[in-house]
Amino acid sequence: MSQIVLDTLVVVASVLLAASAVMALYRIIRGPSILDRMIATDVVLASIMCGLGGFMALSGRTDLLPVLIVLAMLGFVGSVSVSRYVSKSDSMTPGAEVGSLSDFTSSDWHMPQESADGSQTETGSTTGQPTEADGGEEWPDDVARGISDVADGPDAVTVHDDEEPVTVGLDQGTDPDAEGEGLGIGPDPGPDDSDDGDRTGPEPEEEEGGSR
Amino acid sequence: MILDIISAALILLGGVLSLAAALGLLRFGDLLSRMHASAKPQVLGLLMVAVAIGIQYPTWSTVTTLAIIISFQLVTIPVATHMVGRAGYRTKHLRRSMLYRDELAEAVDRAEARELAWERRRGTGTDPNDG
Repeated sequence: MSQIVLDTLVVVASVLLAASAVMALYRIIRGPSILDRMIATDVVLASIMCGLGGFMALSGRTDLLPVLIVLAMLGFVGSVSVSRYVSKSDSMTPGAEVGSLSDFTSSDWHMPQESADGSQTETGSTTGQPTEADGGEEWPDDVARGISDVADGPDAVTVHDDEEPVTVGLDQGTDPDAEGEGLGIGPDPGPDDSDDGDRTGPEPEEEEGGSR
Repeated sequence: MILDIISAALILLGGVLSLAAALGLLRFGDLLSRMHASAKPQVLGLLMVAVAIGIQYPTWSTVTTLAIIISFQLVTIPVATHMVGRAGYRTKHLRRSMLYRDELAEAVDRAEARELAWERRRGTGTDPNDG
């Protein structure tokens, strides 16, 4: 009796793992962007790890445990490297989102090739402000308070030409022409703009028109 | 025999979690939603399978190796998922209409405003390091 239960559990578990691997493979083929494919690859890898662990538990091949370590490290390195070098110019497969959540149109994807006026909507959408994205809708109260409490928020930037109303970080008492390397008065450039000019982050030059 | 059935049931739960993640990958319509779905079998499913192995072969070498695997997954999976989500946000691979709040946009706006103010105060236009 218990042998029948055991066999049934094992067969059902293997069928579930195989089905999940097949569905994740479908997402790899159909995925709109490379990040979706990377996530689906992680799911395939998790299915393989679960199946290998089950095989080890049921057959006694505990010498295969380093294979699990290698698979875990493989998934980590793959995800990190792919997401590190993904760029905005990676194309999304058009129409791939049809099978899922059909009440969202393709204009929801903020990709340049999806919209006809690519540059204009791009500068509008990169700021991410709800006033532009939602068509002049008011911000929530806590968001507005959070913005206005900040001394160097977006409101303080519109005041230019004279130096005093703009409060910038720590360099109030220092000479602005002093180009000290170790002063640390500049904005934090972030970890991404140290290698090349093809960084994927929002560029401050093109944001200058959009944020005002 | 009872332990065999328990470990088989744990493996079955791992398979159920993996199937749930695959169904989430198929049905969800956003990168962040798919990330939410796909994180389940990577940690919890593998934890269940590891417990099953530990039930079957409770020796010190097996259990310590399983602890190494589980702790490695617990450390690396949030890092990898964070990097995927960050890359997805920065390359606009998300649907704005599916977000209730976008708190990172406010932080990005504040950082850009600070950078603009700093450049304007220096009087040299844009930063030459920005390419």
